[in-house]
Amino acid sequence: MKQLTMMGAALLASGGMAMADGHADEVNLQLQWVTQAQFAGYYVALENGYYDEEGLAVNILPGGPDIAPPQVLAGGGADVMLNWMPSALAARERGLPVVNIAQPFVRSGLMLTCWADTGITEPADLAGHTVAHWFFGNEYPFLSWMSQLGIGVEGGEDGVTLLQAGFNVDPLLQRQADCMSTMTYNEYWQVIDAGVTPEELVTFRYEEQGVATLEDGIWALEENLEDPDFVDKMARFVRASMRGWAWAAENPDEAAMIVLDYDETGAQTEEHQLRMMGEIALLVEGGDGRLDEAAYQRTVDTLLAGGSDPVISEAPEGAFTHAVTDLALGE
Amino acid sequence: MRIAAESTSYRLPFIAAGLTAAAWIVDQRLALLIAVWLLAWGVNAVLSRSGAPWARVAVPVIFGLTLLGLWEMAVRLYEVSPIILPAPSAIGAAFAANTEILWADFVQTILRGALVGYVLGCGIAVLVALAIDRSAFLQRGLLPVGDFIAALPIVGTAPIFVMWFGFGPGSKIAVVVAMVFFPMLVNAVQGLKASDPMQRDLMHTYAASPWQSLIKLRLPTALPFLFNGLKICTTLALIGAIVAEFFGSPTVGMGFRIKIEVGRLAMDMVWAEITVAALAGSGFYGLMAMLERRLTFWHPSQRR
Repeated sequence: MKQLTMMGAALLASGGMAMADGHADEVNLQLQWVTQAQFAGYYVALENGYYDEEGLAVNILPGGPDIAPPQVLAGGGADVMLNWMPSALAARERGLPVVNIAQPFVRSGLMLTCWADTGITEPADLAGHTVAHWFFGNEYPFLSWMSQLGIGVEGGEDGVTLLQAGFNVDPLLQRQADCMSTMTYNEYWQVIDAGVTPEELVTFRYEEQGVATLEDGIWALEENLEDPDFVDKMARFVRASMRGWAWAAENPDEAAMIVLDYDETGAQTEEHQLRMMGEIALLVEGGDGRLDEAAYQRTVDTLLAGGSDPVISEAPEGAFTHAVTDLALGE
Repeated sequence: MRIAAESTSYRLPFIAAGLTAAAWIVDQRLALLIAVWLLAWGVNAVLSRSGAPWARVAVPVIFGLTLLGLWEMAVRLYEVSPIILPAPSAIGAAFAANTEILWADFVQTILRGALVGYVLGCGIAVLVALAIDRSAFLQRGLLPVGDFIAALPIVGTAPIFVMWFGFGPGSKIAVVVAMVFFPMLVNAVQGLKASDPMQRDLMHTYAASPWQSLIKLRLPTALPFLFNGLKICTTLALIGAIVAEFFGSPTVGMGFRIKIEVGRLAMDMVWAEITVAALAGSGFYGLMAMLERRLTFWHPSQRR
């Protein structure tokens, strides 16, 4: 292990030297989902040359439904990952020491979308209904919310019947579920695109229910952050990425088109990406990349209250650092 | 010849020691692993040559334990992250601490999903095989349909079945039926052709009805083929029921558990579920193999 770290340090040092000769430092960024406007800031930074200006050669690796970014990080497939805080903190407690180095998203885009004709008007009405939710680490805010409301998730009259759904909105459209987890910037619009009017739906934003957890943070491995060269590289990466986000928020239409150009699958449509970019801009608005410790604390509290099987059993320590953002943005 | 063999066997320990010593120079941990492996191999070699009756059991047991021991040692010596590969001891601890959850998952996935789908799928396949056997017309029509169903990828059918049959066991049963139907059908059709013309003619001279000839001649001769199909389908049913849960499930089941535990990187729990699946699969297969031995004792392949 020691030898490996030494070799890593040597490689990094040589990388630093190589940069003086005009070569760029390589950064592999693992996204947590497929290429879409949710990651516009990074694609903009790449396209507009912000990474080049910082002497970085950034490689953006798209994710997907069965790619767990922490596992990619652990296996050495990426230097830095985007992850929702619940999943990253769970990984940390499980023995993968990941550290939040920056938090571009200041608000959560997660919400519960219900059919209005089920008679659900407020969260307490959820008892006795069926809720389809994504799992794979996305279920914790919901479990914590239900736990705070005192609603069980084992079904029956007083509890919700929870279904593990795939990443599409069919269970809601087919009425197999009365409510379903959606993102403000993605699945909600898939429901609307299926011909449903907003009046037919009732939505509960996790942000407004006080159970929002931080999404789309930038995470790196603790052991790498002991190396000043790596911290410097990450600071340049974060600075360029935040420039990308600022530009994307100001030019949402152009940003969406840049994302479309990078979508190798060709699965995304212009209309959907334009709309998504508009919603994403609301989630990053007002943030400069620094992690808000109050929001961090709320996330941890929400996770610790996560019902009978909480995602983390104790408050994590050292799970974030301001070192990178301080260096990137200046004190 | 015998002398030559013995002299090689005397030389083997020296070769083993030399190999271990060479590995010691490169990497001491590797040398340790190789030493344990060679030692266990040596014990097994001596045991299997001794011809003791209990050696038949001891040799595979020692082999399995050695593999587990090497796994544990490798994980500890090389400080492998539990997210990449947990040690067997960690998996065992997760298994012991979660027996209730594992049992509920087993009931949901194996008993309500795989087993029901297996019985339905294999049963339908045998009935269709009987129909095909009676009519060349059906044989030309139904076999390609069976082939078509078997070629459907599970990642395509599972989400569709979830929409058709709901999130519960219904959709899992449908996936299993689609998976086991074809292999069972092919084997059953082949099996029903297994009796030779002389035997069938003999039944004919006895004035046996088609039903009598089916029960007394053609089904018994088909049994080895039927059991081939049944054995292949045990594992297919398990895989189908577990994988189908990835695409939608209630909050219980082996596939569901594997999916969410991967999401929270609790790989020890994932491996505990894999252990349950492996045990269930081996048990299921063993049961079929035992039934086969009881029912096809007359077949040359069962002679001891």
